[in-house]
Amino acid sequence: MKTERCREWREALGAYALGHLTDEERVSLEGHLEGCPACRAEAAALGSVASLLPHADPERFGPAPMPPPELGKRIAATIDAERRSKRRQRRLRLGFGLSGAAAAAAAAVLAIFILSSGDGSSPEQHVSFRSLPSGVKIAAALEPQAYGTEIHMYVKGIRSGTLCRVYMRGPGGRDVSAGTFRYRWGGDASAVLSAALDLSRAKALVVHAGDRTFVAPIGAGDTALRKQTQEEEST
Amino acid sequence: MSSGALTHERDVREAYSAHAAELYGFAVRSLADPGLAEEAVQETFLRAWRAGERFDPQIGSLRTWLFAILRNVVIDLGRARSSRPSVAEGGIEPSVEPFDEALLSWQIEEAMRRIGEDHRRVLVETYYRGRPYAEVAAELGVPEGTVKSRVYYGLRALRVVLEEMGYED
Repeated sequence: MKTERCREWREALGAYALGHLTDEERVSLEGHLEGCPACRAEAAALGSVASLLPHADPERFGPAPMPPPELGKRIAATIDAERRSKRRQRRLRLGFGLSGAAAAAAAAVLAIFILSSGDGSSPEQHVSFRSLPSGVKIAAALEPQAYGTEIHMYVKGIRSGTLCRVYMRGPGGRDVSAGTFRYRWGGDASAVLSAALDLSRAKALVVHAGDRTFVAPIGAGDTALRKQTQEEEST
Repeated sequence: MSSGALTHERDVREAYSAHAAELYGFAVRSLADPGLAEEAVQETFLRAWRAGERFDPQIGSLRTWLFAILRNVVIDLGRARSSRPSVAEGGIEPSVEPFDEALLSWQIEEAMRRIGEDHRRVLVETYYRGRPYAEVAAELGVPEGTVKSRVYYGLRALRVVLEEMGYED
């Protein structure tokens, strides 16, 4: 029963929890606790806090040291650098994936790699294009993002200066623009593009390079864990 | 897909502004070395970001998760340090308390910092310094009953703060 008298007892509960009451005070307080479940519960709660006090060092109650202001920026920069280098590695892997196809020269190659990277990052799909002219390589790595899909394009062997327009083909054959890039010189070229289409809904990747159009299916190898390659000899 | 997960740099920035001060304060206490503590906090956020998809707010708070990562980082750093020649001044190695004990201590100290100065003062004088209530009352220029009630309200405040910090008894 919580009464006006409890108020007086209550204020002694702190000293009681810390063992600071005289024997006399303690005995009379315990008399009250026996008949008052509310004060008893309060005493128990304070007792559990009081039991923690020996773990703390009063010399350390002053202001805690604050992290230096540049630490946050340094962490952000490190993460940013790590993210970039991961992307570079992905592009490199893409390049390796293509060197096998290059051996087949005029052969039409459909290769879909689904790499599950060991660091637990989101699954990305590697797509390459079939029926390419000899010496031409076009491939892409697709990465799901909150806004849609990030597309890392890789192109080699087309005429310098060629304008490339990239689309992702969604359900019902609707093409969503992923942007354009210009192929500049005779070596390798890569570009990072994005499209507002969820990767899981994408059916194909479409590249218009000059007056040629190349289409690569997306998601055909969904069940493949590591690598699924299907080759069709055309010559 | 990424609801709650720590997969974007923006999430990491938010987590940093919410928890870095606590993690750093604890790392300094635990490692007794501000430079090493910085290293530990940086490594904690890097690991959190790399494993961002595994963070599930359904299982526990972000704070708890970050402290769990820091725990591993501190253990790793401690190992690396013990294999290095001692650089401690005066040849005294900083004591390496077991992590959980250190975390408990730090939480109570942090809670002490967060309660009011009046409350903290009476707890320090009466409990930690073991001074009589009458003496503390005279020094503070308040009645003895006031010291007693401040002890009571101080313990209550401490309990509330510890609960807010996620401490469970």
